[in-house]
Order: sequence, then C-alpha cells, then structure tokens
Amino acid sequence: MTDTALERDAARLEYARDAVEHAYDEGWTDGLPIVPVTAAMVEEFLAATPRPPDEVVAALPHLDRECTVEQAAVNAAMAGCRPEYFPVVLAAWDALMHQPSVTGGGWQSTSGPAPLIVVNGPVRAELGINSTGGVLGPGFRANATIARAVGLVVRNVLGIRPHELEQATQGLPGRWSLCVGENEEESPWEPLSAELGLPAGADAVSALLLRTCEFVDNRHTQDPEEVLWDFCDTIARTGAAIGRFSSAGLVLSVEHAQLLAGGGFAKADVQQWLHDHAVRSHADLERAGKGLDGLQAPGIDEYGLHMTPSPEQIPIIVAGARNAAMSMVVRPFGFSGWSRTAHPVRRG
Amino acid sequence: MFEAMIDPTARPAVTAPVVLAPRPAELAGLTVGLLTNTKKNAESFLDEVGALLAEEHGVAGLVRRKKLNIAQTAPAEMRDELVRACDVIVVGVGDCGSCSASAVADGLELEAAGVPAVVICSEAFVPTADAMADLKGAKGYDYARTPHPVAPLERAEVRARARRILPDLVGILTRASVAA
Repeated sequence: MTDTALERDAARLEYARDAVEHAYDEGWTDGLPIVPVTAAMVEEFLAATPRPPDEVVAALPHLDRECTVEQAAVNAAMAGCRPEYFPVVLAAWDALMHQPSVTGGGWQSTSGPAPLIVVNGPVRAELGINSTGGVLGPGFRANATIARAVGLVVRNVLGIRPHELEQATQGLPGRWSLCVGENEEESPWEPLSAELGLPAGADAVSALLLRTCEFVDNRHTQDPEEVLWDFCDTIARTGAAIGRFSSAGLVLSVEHAQLLAGGGFAKADVQQWLHDHAVRSHADLERAGKGLDGLQAPGIDEYGLHMTPSPEQIPIIVAGARNAAMSMVVRPFGFSGWSRTAHPVRRG
Repeated sequence: MFEAMIDPTARPAVTAPVVLAPRPAELAGLTVGLLTNTKKNAESFLDEVGALLAEEHGVAGLVRRKKLNIAQTAPAEMRDELVRACDVIVVGVGDCGSCSASAVADGLELEAAGVPAVVICSEAFVPTADAMADLKGAKGYDYARTPHPVAPLERAEVRARARRILPDLVGILTRASVAA
C-alpha cells in the first residue's frame, strides 16, 4: 500500500469516527457507538421483509407515538443488525406489542424492565442466533443487535429516554441485550413456539418483559424434586414479592431440563409443581413489611402467597450449554401477565 | 456534513398547544372532581384534599372517579362524566414512572375539554411529568408537587400532606395559569 492510500484510509476512518460522534451529539445512541445509516442501507433492510415501509409495528397511544417498518429499519441498521436479521426484529415487535405491560407504559416503569426475546426455528442457525453456551451473555452479533434494535426504537422513535419519560429506578443489567435462541436441539420438550400453538419447525419469536434474573446452581443431585425445591427457594424470595402480582419463570439449562424430563416431568408438570410449591408464608412477608393484611385474592391462602399467578403463566424455555447444571429464575414484569403468543418470522 | 446520515428519531407529531381552561376566582359553591388512579394512597390523598376543600373553601360537592389503568389516561366516558359534573378537577397521584406521565395527560385532556384541572405528582417524577407536558404541547404546565414517597404513608401522614399541598392546589385552580 502506498503512503497516499494509507492517508486516504486514515481520512475515511476519521470521517467515520466523526459520524459516530455526530450520532452521540444528536442523542441517538444508547451509550454505545452506533452504525451511521444511509438511505441505501435502509433500502437493504426494507428488501428483507415483505411488510410495507409505512406499516405501524409499534405504537404507544398515550404518548401519541408510532413506529413504522421504515423507522424500525433505520434503528435496526444503527444497532448493527445485518439486513437479514430485520424480520426477526419485526417479529419481536409483534410479540412485544401483545404484552399488556408494553402498551400499558412498561417502558416508562420504575422497574426498568428488559425485553426477553426468544427465537425458535431454523432461522437461529441461518442467522447465527446463539442458543447454547453464554446465551444470555455477549459475543454474538445477531443476539446483541436484534435486542439493541428494540431499545433504539424505544429511545429514538417512541421518545422514551432515561431521566425524561423513562423513569427506571436502577434499571436491569441486560436491558436491550436479552435475545436468545431456544436450544431446541437439546431440549427434551417441544419448542416454546409449539407450546404456544405454532407448527413445529416454524421460525418464530416470543417475548416478555423481565424485571431481573437470578441463577440457580444445582450440580448436586439427580433427584428432580430436589432441583425443583432449589428453584422454589429462589422464586419465593420476599424481595420479589409484590402481592398477588408476583411472577416467575425459568430459563432452564439443558442438564436441568433433561434431569426433569428424565424424572417424568413434562413441561406442564414443572409449571404445576412450581405453582403449587413456590409459596411464601404470611409470617415471612410480614417480617419484610409486606404483609397482605388479610387480603382475599387469587393466589393467597392460609399458607401464604403463591409466587406465580397460574401454572401457564410460568414461562419455561431451555437455553444454554450442556456443560453444567445451572439455570436462571426470571421475573416477568407486569400485572396483566404474559401474552403467551408466538409470532412468525416473515421474510422478503 | 452528515446530511446523508438518516435521522433515526421520529418527527414529533405536530401537537397544537393546549389552551388551558378559564379559572374561577374562588372555589366556594363549586363542584370538585377527584380523579384517582390505583396507586397506594392515591384515593385517600384525594379524599383528604376533598374534605379540606369542603371545610375550608366551601366547595359544594365532590365527584369521585378512579381509573383502573394507571398508565393510560382516564377512559373517555369517565372524563366526559367529570367534565359534565364538575367545575374543577383534582388528578392524582402521579407516584410512578408511567402514572405520573398519564396523570399530566389526564389534566391536559380535562383542560382541553374546558375544565380547570390540577395534577398532583410526587417530586421524584418531575422529569417525567414535565416531559409529558412538553410532549402534549403544554410545556410549563403547572402542577402540584408533594414529597416522595406517597405509597408507604400512614393515613395521618397522608392528611398532613393534603394540608401542605392545599394552597398550591387552590392557587393553580384559581389563578390564570398559562402553559408556555
């Protein structure tokens, strides 16, 4: 390479850096650098979907705000998505718009919840969506940028920014980064999308909002009930108790899922078992200043508070490596529950 | 320099500035609406406000409504009922991220329908209340602020809060209040 070419290269890179800084100055980023977007890039994204550019994919009536397919494309490109990821981003919005908590102001909540986006089907392998080791962590472009594309729409198009309309008290580590493939290949049960009514093998996205997640490390036993009791202890923490609106779910590791299935538990059996056993006593709640004061309501009985509203409201997905028996207890957000819907990925 | 770089933000909808309702000179003899949400202590806070308005300002009647969705504005029928029945309205309590924004939006919808409305927000949610007023075309909309938090207070503390905020509420409802 000649000196002249090197100089030209340096000048281009300086220009690229200025473009990134310009995006910061305009308030368009979530704190990390973005990809500068041109009209040609937006066209590539729009070509990846059969949906018209002016179709509304997200709307918050109480803020008079809507997001079109085209605006979602701009933000997906900014987030670092490849054009072929865009149909998954749109399906994630379909799933999110079915959550009462999303349309009800969840993005503005003091909980600062994070969307958990779950992808099923062959699209995972085609796009490189990780479903195995480190599934909730960094390192995979599709997982990271699909989730980030949602966050940039909330900020840039719906206009919900921290210290303004967004009022998270602390927020959640992992906000705008939680997109996982389900590990269908090693799960002993049908995929989440099939549980929710789509045909086996469909490319699909489901989503819900999370308040947080916490690991359960149990490499200690081969008894399914002992593992379930270990989940229960985490699920029933008083810190997570908010009266009869508490909720919980599981991102199960492959080993835990296979141990449970091997012990004869269908997914529905696990849900029922957890619903029956994850109870916090009235005395414990009172000790934490969270006594229910004789409240009569579903999920409250003489033993205390059932920490899940119903068995089917306990989301269970299988994701992660088959290298250790540890799982995540997740905390769905929202008084109105999880929609339990899966949405097809439609490609152009 | 970066004119070819696409702006990812929505063009804000062109919102016509909200015209606030004309104010009465005083509250004596008027009917006051109390529009609460489901946040803990919201109802008791406005009950205390209503009692004080009756005792000390001679208001003639109170009309109570509670909206069940804290993040959305009150249903149109509920708003219409209040507008028909009331001379002024108190809205509250904005004590969370989404309910403070929607309380301000309620106040502005009532104003636009011709009834003076005062919103009570806890001080922790001033940024979100201001952002909502701005979004709705009423930058600088005046509302009453109470210290945070409201939810864990005992009834006597709620009563004390209502007493402290009363002059502000009455002032906002009776003085010519302009959104910039």
